[in-house]
This record gives sequence, structure tokens and C-alpha cells, in this order.
Amino acid sequence: MSSHNLDVYMPILILIGIGIALVFGAILFGKLIRPHNPSRLKEQAYECGEDPVGVAWSNFNVRFYVVSLIFIIFDVESALMFPVASVFKKFNEIGRGGIILCTFIVFVMILVSGVIYCWRKGDLDWVKSFHLNLDESSEKNTQEAS
Amino acid sequence: MFDSVLFLLSAILIVVGSLGVLFIKENIMHACVALLTALFGVAGAYAVLGADFLAATQLVVYVGGVVILMLFAVMLTGGGAANENKFGIEKIPAMGNVKTYIIAGVNVLVISLVVIKIMANVMQDYKAVALPAYESTVEKLGTLLVTDHVLAFEVSSILLLGALVGAAVIARPIGSTK
Amino acid sequence: MNEGLISFLSQFDGHKAFVKMISDFAGTDATSTISFFIYLAACLAVVGVMATIGGLGTYAERKISADLQARQGPNRVGPFGLLQMLADGVKMILKEDIIPSAADKPMFIMAPMLCIVGVFGSLAVVPFSSGFILSDLNVGVFYLLGISSLVGVGIFIGGYSSNSKWSMLGGMRGASQIISYEIPVTLSIIAIVVLSGGMSFGTLIGGQGGFPHEWYILHNPFTFIAFFVYFIGALAETNRAPFDLPEAESELVSGYHTEYTGMRFAFFALAEYIEVFVVCGVAAALFFGGWKVPFDLGTGEAFSALPPIIAKNIGQILQLGSFFTKTLLLYYVVIWIRWTLPRLRVDQLMTLCWKYLTPIALFNLIMIAVWAYAFDGKSMFELFTAMGSGSTGGH
Repeated sequence: MSSHNLDVYMPILILIGIGIALVFGAILFGKLIRPHNPSRLKEQAYECGEDPVGVAWSNFNVRFYVVSLIFIIFDVESALMFPVASVFKKFNEIGRGGIILCTFIVFVMILVSGVIYCWRKGDLDWVKSFHLNLDESSEKNTQEAS
Repeated sequence: MFDSVLFLLSAILIVVGSLGVLFIKENIMHACVALLTALFGVAGAYAVLGADFLAATQLVVYVGGVVILMLFAVMLTGGGAANENKFGIEKIPAMGNVKTYIIAGVNVLVISLVVIKIMANVMQDYKAVALPAYESTVEKLGTLLVTDHVLAFEVSSILLLGALVGAAVIARPIGSTK
Repeated sequence: MNEGLISFLSQFDGHKAFVKMISDFAGTDATSTISFFIYLAACLAVVGVMATIGGLGTYAERKISADLQARQGPNRVGPFGLLQMLADGVKMILKEDIIPSAADKPMFIMAPMLCIVGVFGSLAVVPFSSGFILSDLNVGVFYLLGISSLVGVGIFIGGYSSNSKWSMLGGMRGASQIISYEIPVTLSIIAIVVLSGGMSFGTLIGGQGGFPHEWYILHNPFTFIAFFVYFIGALAETNRAPFDLPEAESELVSGYHTEYTGMRFAFFALAEYIEVFVVCGVAAALFFGGWKVPFDLGTGEAFSALPPIIAKNIGQILQLGSFFTKTLLLYYVVIWIRWTLPRLRVDQLMTLCWKYLTPIALFNLIMIAVWAYAFDGKSMFELFTAMGSGSTGGH
């Protein structure tokens, strides 16, 4: 294999190209044979037969944002863990597995402590906003009801 | 041959995407998609340089994570349809006027000075040598992370812990006692 | 490393001779150009096969669901209704292409494309056999995670751009579900990477054998759990039932593709069915030994009476058979699950991910690392046999 061979990325580029070409090709080909009778009713957004009220782009709940924030943190974490995980076996074979195991466990445990914190504080609950600022008993009821 | 093709494609994606982020003003959602293009191009650029792990990380963290985070963040404000939110406040208040251009210009100047300062040392000794034989960057990275840079590895975990707790705290409703 | 189709082909004299001939003819080194055409042909073949599998997936889905509900299913078009997918395709392409007037038009057009690009990009590293993998990147499985996250962006943008309430809700749910379940999936994959010592599919499969007791799923108790974590997460990532909340027809009409008609809708569906195949293929590769064939028949050494080129290719065909059998069995399980389990509620979905799967996956990861250290990466079976023969197991 020649030095610094980038040919391995060729299939990725080709597949992406095929994907884009397929989508555009099929839609352009369909344009030749499909009917085209636009009408105002057809081009309305579907809302079970009613005229749509306003636009759909409203302010969404913050919980989606929190989920993606936590996701990014885990994502970066996994990006750091992947290279360490892939040298684990090699270190184990030369008898230095203990060090890498300790490093690994400390790394994961710090993350786990964060997860435990969020869990205890109720940040992992999807319906948390419904039973905030309620006393203990009514909170229990809400949880049972949900 | 293919190296040049890959590089050109990545470069075009980066430039077009970045310009899109700069100049698409009427719809912030479209700017987000332009950012996606630019980040995808950066992954291609890493691949050209032989940093395959970094390219994959770029895909996982930025394309899969940061862009979705931004899309959700835009949806917090109700999408890119109107430039005003429901309280009648302009969403992107200070973009695209003289002040921002001056600030951006100063920033560009400072950053390019720093980059030139760093590059100068490298360029003095620069000889056009063949790139080293292709080998796995993953194992090098992994070995370095658990030997020389083990402290940085662990501290990064603490940094991420801080980010996790911060994200959770910020998102809590004001006045929540829990 | 970084092997793939070309390095498999270049072990044959015919390929070398052909490259040399073209190089001499053109006067320059034509290796790269020839690689391009080989890759192009292989990619077209893979896309063709995958599109067929995606189409047959819709057929299988309807036929199996009919079977489970004691109905007939499609049985008019062709033998056993097998040509139903062609009829569907023709119908799709003849449908009027409606873009809602209030929609965000450029994004509306781009959304199915993002889904297709994400899925097709991930096909590049799917290990069909030891020779037929388009490119066995060093970062194979990590790259796959990255490129397939484009599907999430596509679903979100599809939901956003339609400017319909149903689509918007479906898109938001879809994207948040996909990113949430990516975490347990990633953690399970890291656990397998710890055992195999590499991220390329060649290394991941190379650590396993042809027989079930050599597969990673039976390597130790924790990998057994890791498989189920991976599989549940993968179901949710592909928006399959019981996690099909983004397109829950009883509450969200059709979710993020409510406003899509004709071919644009078809591409969303195609992307979903191919993605199911890809995640099943990855599950087969990570936990079920991928293309490994029992008795090492896949290397072709057992057929040494035949010329080597034929023996090698017989081995490759056996490997392809092994991989497709495992993957399609998992595909069947996915469809079976869809028609068996009821749909989850959205808060149950998030609870399952954050309070069950993620902690279990983290625990698994640590325990597999400990196991790999304590027993030198030996599997349960190896430990048993070592105990049986009286030598020491572990250290």
C-alpha cells in the first residue's frame, strides 16, 4: 500500500454521490410522468380537515434542549473513550492492563457521578415540570398518575 | 489524484458553508444547515490530512451532536420563521450592522496574527517531505491518552462532569426547590 | 489496516496484471483510477442490493404482520405477492409531488436527501464478507455512528420544514429519541471494542470465531447483556416499533413525514428500511461473529484441491451467506417485535433510555473492562475448558 493512501475514502464519497443523485434523479424522472394539479386545499398543511391555525414553528419545551446537551457530553466522552478502549487489549497483552483499567474506571466513574447527580435532582425525568414545587405527597400522586 | 478531489470537495464545502452561515440572515434554520455543510467539510479536511479518528470524531460530535443541539436551541425560540419572538423582541438584534463588522474584523486580525506567529516557526523548517506511511492514528492517540497525557484525560472527564451538571442546573425552571 | 475490497482483489494476479496493463497503456499509475471504477461498480451493486432488500423489507413487513394476525397479506402481484414492491415503486413515482405552500421549500427538499446520504454513507463500512467490505476503515464503527447521525438531522429537518404541527412534533421527538438512544448503543459498542482491541470491522470480527461459543455475545455474561442494550437502542434509533413515537399514527397522523408524498416519502421509508438492515448487520458483526463460517471454511483453505482463486471465492460466498443469514434473522426479529409489542409513551421512552439502558450500559462497560483484565480477555468457554484440562484459569 502506498504511503498515505486516501483511496479508502473513495466508496464513502461515491455512496454519498449516489445517494444525492438517486434522490434528485428519481424526483426529476417522476416530474415527467406524474400529474401536477396544485390547488390551495392540497397545499395546506394537514390538520385533520380544519384550516391550519398559525404556523407550526412555536416555542418548544426546554427539555429537548437539555436532552441534546447531555447527549453531547456523553458523545465527547465516548470520543475520548474509543481510542483508550481500542488499546486496552494491547496493554493487557504486555502486562500493563492494570494501569489502563484504573484510568478507564476513574474516567467512567467521574461521568457516573454526574449521571447520579442528575438522577437524584430529577433532571432525567421527562415529566419533571408537572410536579415541581409540590410537596412530597402530591408529588407521589402525580408520579403514580403518570 | 483522489487526494486533490477529496481536498477540493472539502474545501468547497467549508467555504460555501461558512459563507452561508455569514450571509443567510433571514432564516436562522438555513444558517444552521449551512453550518452542517461546513462541519461536514471539516471532517473531509481531517480525512485528507490522514487524521481518520479526528474526522470520525468531527462527524460524531459536531454533525451528530452540535448541529442537533443548535436546531433544538433554535426551536426554543420558535424556529426561523419570524425575526421577532412572541414578545416582539428581535431575535438576532445586533447582526449585520457596522458594529458587528468592526468587531469581527478585529477578531479576524487577532486570530490571524496568532496563527501566523505559530505557523512562522513551523514554516521556517518546512521542507516538502513525503507524508509518513499511513498507519492507525487511533492506537497512537489511545497510547498517548493513557501514558503521557493521562492527567489531561482524567481532567477532561471532570470538565465534562462540570458541563453535565451545568446543563442540568441551567435548564431547571427558576424557583424550583428541588 | 484500512483494508477493503481493493486489497482483497489485489492479492489475485489478474488484478495486478490488469492494473499494470492499463498503467502501461496510459503512461501513468492507474491504480487509483482503476480502484475508482471498481469501487463505483461495487457501490452501485451494494446500493442495488440494499434497495432491493429495503423493498423486500416492506413486503416482508406486510407479509409477516399478516401472518401474525392470521391474514393473507399482499398476494396478488406476482408469485406470493413478491412483486408488490415494484407495484409500490411505480405507484410512488406516479404520485403527485405536493409541497405545502407554507413549507420551508429548500429544507423540505433537502430532508429526504440527508436521510438517504446518512444511510448510504454507513453502507461503506458494513462488512459483507472478509473481502467484500467497501472500505474497512480503522475507525469503522465510530465512523458509522457519526455518519448515521445525519439521519437524525434529516428527520428533524423533515419535521421542521413541513410547517405542520404533526410533523413538527414528530421531528422533535424523532431527533431527541435518536440522540438519546445513541448513548447506550455507543457504550455497548465501546465495551466490544475493549474486548477486540480495534474499531475496524475486520478486527471486531477477527476476534470471534465461526461457532456460537466463540461469538462475543457468549463471551461473558456482560456482553450478553450488552447485546440486548445495543439491540433495544438500535430499534429506537431506527424509529421502529415499539419506539415509533415519531410516526405514531394514532396520535401524530404520520409524524415527520405527514406532508411528504410520492418519491420523497418513499426515500424516507427506504432510508428507514436500509438503516434497519445496517443496524442488524452491525449487531451480527459485533455480537454474532459477522461473516465467520464454522470450521474456517470462509478462508477457502478447505477447498485446496481447487485452484486458489476459485477456492477463495467459494469461501467468500460462504462468508456472504453467513453474514446475510444472521442479519436477515435479526431483521425478522425486528419485524416480529414491531407486530408484537405495544408502543411506549414518550416519558416511558425517556425513562427507559436514561434510567435503565444508560446505567446498565455503563456498568457493562466497566465490568467487561474488568473481565478483560482479570481473565486476559478469555471467554467463559475458554475458562471452562482450561479448568477442565486442569490448567489454571485467569491469574
